[in-house]
Amino acid sequence: MIPKELGKPLTLPCQSSRIRFGPEGVLFAAGHDGSVLRWDVTGKEPKPLPTVKLHNGWATALAFHPKKPLAISADSHGALIAWDRTADTPTPVWSQPKAHDGWLRATVVHDDRVVSLGRDGFVRGWNLDDGKPLRELSLGVDIFSLAVAPDGKSFVVGDLFGNIHVIEWDKWKVLSKYEVKELHLLDRIQDVGGVRALAFKPDGRSLFVAGSVPKSGGFVQGFPLMVELEWPSGKRLTQWKGAADNEGFIHDLLWLDEGFLAGVTSGQPGQGRLFVWKPGDAKPLFESTKLPNCHSLARHGKLLAHSATNANSSGNGKVKGKDGDYPANSSPIQLWTMA
Amino acid sequence: MNPNLCTPQDHRLSRRQWLGATGAMALGGLSLPAFAEELKKKRKQVLFVWLDGGMSQLESWDPKPNTTFGGPFRAISTSVPGTHVSELLPQTAKQMHRLAVVRSVSTQDNSHSAGVDRIQRGDPKNRGVVYPYLGSAVANWVGAGDSGLPPYVWIKPGNGGFIDREAGFLGPKFGALALGDGKPPENLIRPKELSMADDFERNELRKLADARYSAGRRKENTEANSFAFDMAEQLQKKLELFDISKLPAKDTQRYGTHDLGRHLLLARRMLEAGVTFVKVTSYGWDTHGDHFNGAASLHPKFDKPFAAMIEDLAERGMLDDILVIAISEFGRTPRINGHLGRDHWPEAWSVAMAGRGIKPGVVEGKTNALGTEVASEPHDIGHLFHTWYKALGIDPKKSKYQNAGQPLPIAHEDMHAVKEVLA
Repeated sequence: MIPKELGKPLTLPCQSSRIRFGPEGVLFAAGHDGSVLRWDVTGKEPKPLPTVKLHNGWATALAFHPKKPLAISADSHGALIAWDRTADTPTPVWSQPKAHDGWLRATVVHDDRVVSLGRDGFVRGWNLDDGKPLRELSLGVDIFSLAVAPDGKSFVVGDLFGNIHVIEWDKWKVLSKYEVKELHLLDRIQDVGGVRALAFKPDGRSLFVAGSVPKSGGFVQGFPLMVELEWPSGKRLTQWKGAADNEGFIHDLLWLDEGFLAGVTSGQPGQGRLFVWKPGDAKPLFESTKLPNCHSLARHGKLLAHSATNANSSGNGKVKGKDGDYPANSSPIQLWTMA
Repeated sequence: MNPNLCTPQDHRLSRRQWLGATGAMALGGLSLPAFAEELKKKRKQVLFVWLDGGMSQLESWDPKPNTTFGGPFRAISTSVPGTHVSELLPQTAKQMHRLAVVRSVSTQDNSHSAGVDRIQRGDPKNRGVVYPYLGSAVANWVGAGDSGLPPYVWIKPGNGGFIDREAGFLGPKFGALALGDGKPPENLIRPKELSMADDFERNELRKLADARYSAGRRKENTEANSFAFDMAEQLQKKLELFDISKLPAKDTQRYGTHDLGRHLLLARRMLEAGVTFVKVTSYGWDTHGDHFNGAASLHPKFDKPFAAMIEDLAERGMLDDILVIAISEFGRTPRINGHLGRDHWPEAWSVAMAGRGIKPGVVEGKTNALGTEVASEPHDIGHLFHTWYKALGIDPKKSKYQNAGQPLPIAHEDMHAVKEVLA
């Protein structure tokens, strides 16, 4: 299970914290400029597709209708928008501009619903076809991550304080709550950490919970941590904790059907990696640090992609670029083939 | 070496020294009606809120949503039509008609080690002397008044004690009395086993020893020793100031139970009791990593108690006499690093102020569309010192320090007040 690098990284005009493959194999990146960037990566060379500009703030989350050509994207100003993912210049098929009060953190499509969650502490369900509101639940805390259980009977959301709330799909009520308390720290007056990524094993026997064991606020030093919980008991099974406190967070997780987990980490500028880990092993069997500060990863068939950050992304004061300008950073995306 | 000469270490007041031996008089309390009496006395006072590490201007006073460096948050309307702040300051937005914000602050240092000092000392021209922090300077110019309390009180997390380094060339007497974790100095109350008479006798002995020690030494340093004991004695009479448990529950709710909320509530009590200069420090604002989640946690913990403070001071009629300043050593970079953090940025940032001598509801200066440059006249910390002195009725052009016979300007002589924010 060793990924093999495919060509040079794709370049983006902005930073991105979320990438996903659509069902047809098009790669989507949610940009910090509110755009959704697209590439057709089914051919020999990645081919850029027209950029979609429907959002304010940061585009933050992506999901896809399994049967219709709809993409569902979200932003940090609270909007949730469905649009024709095959169109060059798509317009909203439906839109919920105030789906959440501010930062919409994550969204997922399952059955006939879209589930979204936000910094406002709400988990909301929407009709996939027309966007009408269906369900709502307030957890009263900042929530980051979301995953649907393989049996479809429940889904889980992870919050700032290291809690994982298990929510019944039909009745939309909290069934139980698990804790991975190491994923949160109150440092002075700053709450640091949170459950940043959740992934189920497809056999429905394990839930993987990831984030950072923070050592401090401010700089946010911390060790990446991933914990395997037995599902549905919540009993802790295996875990992997990074060796360095400058490596920060596991920001995204992906179960690979070959029996492995892939993840990305980002910590102090220059730190971070793509890794592949076999649950129970002491350390990952594959790691790539070629691109630092990695924030997301996605897979389609044999293709794997991960987004990172350009080198030399930090600096106090007015750090100048080559042309004497004040440059923004960007998020190169590396494609891999799964051997 | 002349045995009569002392070393600087001899005059450094250790915590134990200043907390341990105090002249205890009868424990007179300051009753709540007495607070009202204090309120009647119109004075010049300052509340200085120091957000150590650097608060982001882009997530507070100068939001730039939907721009390259704008970050994920929205801008919201305020009580001043046309003026917007970050959505992370919803309560303060309602108090905007009482605030003045300078969005054109441009200072010199992008390191904490230099920035903290230079900002709080006003960054005057180098004359080979160490200038006082603003708190010590105001303590010097305004004095303690008749509150019976020290003129410069610093409420902070961590340890307390008498912090003389902030006084610079003014001498240790103008240092800050730091209330570590907002608590009164330990050992302030006379132990039960020590009778009042014995304590009085002990204190007289201490004064005699001080007088003998002082002979032939620099007056400023030995005065500071006595001053520390006097402060302790004064505080003993006003211990109930520290007991915020007797305040209405709604006060605690409005200010919050975290350090900054508790400390700002205590600051309000200190200002009500007549302390001339109260500094409240909050640490941990140096958000180089995971900045936006950090700001989402930190900024509301400033917003709520700060807005409550402005509202309370206004309702009590105290905002006419108290200059309020909210500031850091710099802002934060527009550029977002790979750890999704913002680094240090003195180039173009914001400072908020309110109260005595300040024109309310004003935004002065602007940055360019991306927040990377000041797009109007830039204002250094020297300009702000001129502004604050003028607001306090101290003429920064005419007033001079006298340092061992050397006249020194109280603020950078090439700079001037930001008249647009002066009432």
